[in-house]
Amino acid sequence: MLRYIGKRLALMVPTLLLIMAVGFGIMQLPATDFVDQYVLQQAAIGNTGMMDQAENLKTQFGLNRPAPERFVLWVGNFVRGDFGISFSDLRPVGAVIMERLPMTLAVSFLAFIVSWGVGIPLGVYSATHQYSAGDVGLTIFAFVGVGIPDFLLAIVLLVLAFSATGNVFLGLSSPEFVNQPWTLAKILDFLSYAWLSVLAVAFTGTALIMRVTRNNMLEELGKNYVVTLRAKGLPERVIIWKHVFRNALHPLVSIFGQVLAFLINGFAITSIVLNLPTIQTIYLQATLRQDVFLASTILVMIAITVVVGNLISDVLLAWIDPRIRYE
Amino acid sequence: MSDTRALAADLEPEIETLSARPTAILSVRQLMWRKFRRNRLAVFGLVVLTVMYILAVLAGFVAPYGVRETHQQFPRTSPTAIHFVDADGQFHFQPFVYAITRAMDPKTFTMTSIEDTSVRYPIELFIRGAPYNILGIWKSDVHLFGVEAPGKLFLLGTDTTGRDLFSRILYGSQVSLTVGLFGVILALVIGASVGIISGYYGGWFDEIVQRIIEMTLAFPQIPLWLALATLVPPTWSSVQVYFAISIVLSILSWGALARQVRAMVLSLRTSDFVRAASYANASPPRIMFRHLLPSTMSHILVIATLTIPSMILGETALSFLGLGIKAPMTSWGVLLNEAQSVQVILQLPWLLSPAAFVVLTIISFNFVGDGLRDAADPFSR
Repeated sequence: MLRYIGKRLALMVPTLLLIMAVGFGIMQLPATDFVDQYVLQQAAIGNTGMMDQAENLKTQFGLNRPAPERFVLWVGNFVRGDFGISFSDLRPVGAVIMERLPMTLAVSFLAFIVSWGVGIPLGVYSATHQYSAGDVGLTIFAFVGVGIPDFLLAIVLLVLAFSATGNVFLGLSSPEFVNQPWTLAKILDFLSYAWLSVLAVAFTGTALIMRVTRNNMLEELGKNYVVTLRAKGLPERVIIWKHVFRNALHPLVSIFGQVLAFLINGFAITSIVLNLPTIQTIYLQATLRQDVFLASTILVMIAITVVVGNLISDVLLAWIDPRIRYE
Repeated sequence: MSDTRALAADLEPEIETLSARPTAILSVRQLMWRKFRRNRLAVFGLVVLTVMYILAVLAGFVAPYGVRETHQQFPRTSPTAIHFVDADGQFHFQPFVYAITRAMDPKTFTMTSIEDTSVRYPIELFIRGAPYNILGIWKSDVHLFGVEAPGKLFLLGTDTTGRDLFSRILYGSQVSLTVGLFGVILALVIGASVGIISGYYGGWFDEIVQRIIEMTLAFPQIPLWLALATLVPPTWSSVQVYFAISIVLSILSWGALARQVRAMVLSLRTSDFVRAASYANASPPRIMFRHLLPSTMSHILVIATLTIPSMILGETALSFLGLGIKAPMTSWGVLLNEAQSVQVILQLPWLLSPAAFVVLTIISFNFVGDGLRDAADPFSR
C-alpha cells in the first residue's frame, strides 16, 4: 500500500510540472505582458510618465528575461515555498492567497459536506422507495440539478433572497465585520452569507451523488445476499444500512476525487458572479491582467487539490474494500 | 426417448404456426432503436432536441423580429400578454394583443407598459416583417407569426435597448447549440484516433499516451477554459471567436474519450475479425479505422452525447462572463450576460428566460445520452 502511494506521489510530480508549465505558458502567449498593459492603462488616464519607466518595471519584475528562464527560476523558488510576487499589488503571492484561503476552504468544505450529507440519504431513500412519488420527485430534482448551471442558480437565489429579505447577499460578510476577529457574531454573519453560495454549488453536487447512490443501491438490492438476509429475518434497517449501503459505498468513494474537483471548479464562476473573497475570483483578475505568478500559482494549487483528491479516493477505496489490491 | 418424441409431436403445430407467421429479422440498429424507444425520457429528450435544432435552423422564419431589429420606443418592455377575450368580454377565436403605450410610473420613476384596450392586433400567421436568410438558400420576409406593423408582439419581453428577447433566443440557439457540437466533433476525432492507435499498438507508445491523458484529466477544467478564453484576441471576427471557443471547449475533453476507446480496442484487438483482417494482409491503418472504429462507434456516440451538455454549459459560462462569444454574435450566454446584476433582474426578470432554454437543452441531452447508453448494447436485458 505504502509503495502504491509512493508511486502515485512520484507520478504527481511530472503532472504538476506540466500544469505549472501550461499555466505559466498561457500567460506568455499574448504579445503584451503585465507592464505593457499597466503602462497603457496609466496612459489612458493621462499618466504618460509611466512610458519611460516601463523598462525599469520590466527589469524589476524580471520580465525582460526570456520566458523559459523565468519559468525555471519560478519552479525553483516554488519548491522552496516562494511563489513569486503578485505584480498588481506588489505583495508575495503566498500572502495574497493565504488571505483568501480560509474563506475558500470554508465555503468549499461546507458545500462538500452538504452535497454528501444530503445526497447520500436522499439517494438511499430514492432507491428503497423506487418508483414512489418521492423517488420520482427526487429523480426530477436530480436531472434539473445536473442541468442547471450553478452560477445561474446563484443569481436566482440572490434575487429570491433579495425579494424575501431586502438584503443583497454578495460577498461573504457584512461590511462591519471585515477585518474583525472571528467571534460568534462574525461566524453567524458569515453563515448568513455563505448559505447562498454553498446551496448554489452544492445543488449540482447533491444531485450527482444522489443519482450515483440510487443506482448503486438498486444494483445491490437486487443481489441474492439481500434475499438471504431477508429470509433470515433481519430488520430492514439493518439490511439497508449495515449490508447493502456498505457495498454500495464503493463507487461513491471512487467518485470522491471527481466531486471534489467539481466543487472547486464549480466555485470558479459562482464566486466571480457572487463576488466571493475566494482564490477563484482573483484567478480571473490575475489572468486578465497577466499577473503571471499569481495566476499560475492558483492554477497549480487547484490542480494539487484535484490530484490529491483522486489519490485519497483511491486509497480510501483500497481501505474500505480489502478485495482491491494495488500492485 | 419416447418422451421427447411425444413432446416434439406436441410442439409440431406450434412450430408450424411460428414458421407460418412472417418472421421479422431485426438488424442491430433496429434492436437499438427498439431499446431506445422504450426509454420514455430519452424519447422526450430526442423530441425536444429535434424541435430545438429545427427552430435554430429556421430561426429567421419562426422569430417574429430580426436579430438586430430594435424597437426604440419599447426598451425594457415586459412580455406581451396574449388575449382571447377582449375588454368587452367577447371571445375571439384568433388570439390577439393590445397596443402598448409606455408611461412613467409616478412612484418609482420607471417606465412601465400599459395595454391600450381600444386597439386590438390579432396574431396572424405568415406575416411580412424583417427580411432574413436561412442557410444562404432561402431568402424571404415572411414570418411564421406576428402582428401588423404598429402592434408589437414581444413573447418574452425586450432587453434594455428594445430588442425582442424571444427572437434573440432563437438566433442565439444557432450558436449555443452548435458550438458544443463542433467542439465534440473535434474532441471525437482526436480522442478516437489517439485511443485506437494507442490501444492497437500498445507498448511504450500506449504507456506514454496514457500518462499524458492522466495529466490532462488532472487539469482544472473551468480555470483553464477561463485562461484560454482570455487569450482570444479582441480584434478577431465573430466567426473566428466562435471556432476559437469550440477549440477551447474541446481541449480537455478528448482525454476521457481516448481512454474509453482504448479500453474497447484492447479487448477487440485479439478478436477473430481483427485476426482475419490481418491475415488478409490489411494494413494497420485499415484494420484500425475500417474494422475497429465501427465497432467502437456506438460507445463513442454515447460519450459524445454526454459530453455536449458540459460544452454548452462551458460556452454559456464563458459568454456570461464576457469571455466567450461576443456581440454582435448572439448566444444564450451573451443574452444572460445582460442579466448579471441583481438590480437589472429585479426590474426585468424576463431577461433570465434564456436560462430555461439552457437547462432544457442540457437535461434533454442527458436523457438522450442515458437512453443511448442502454441502447448501445441492445442484447443486454
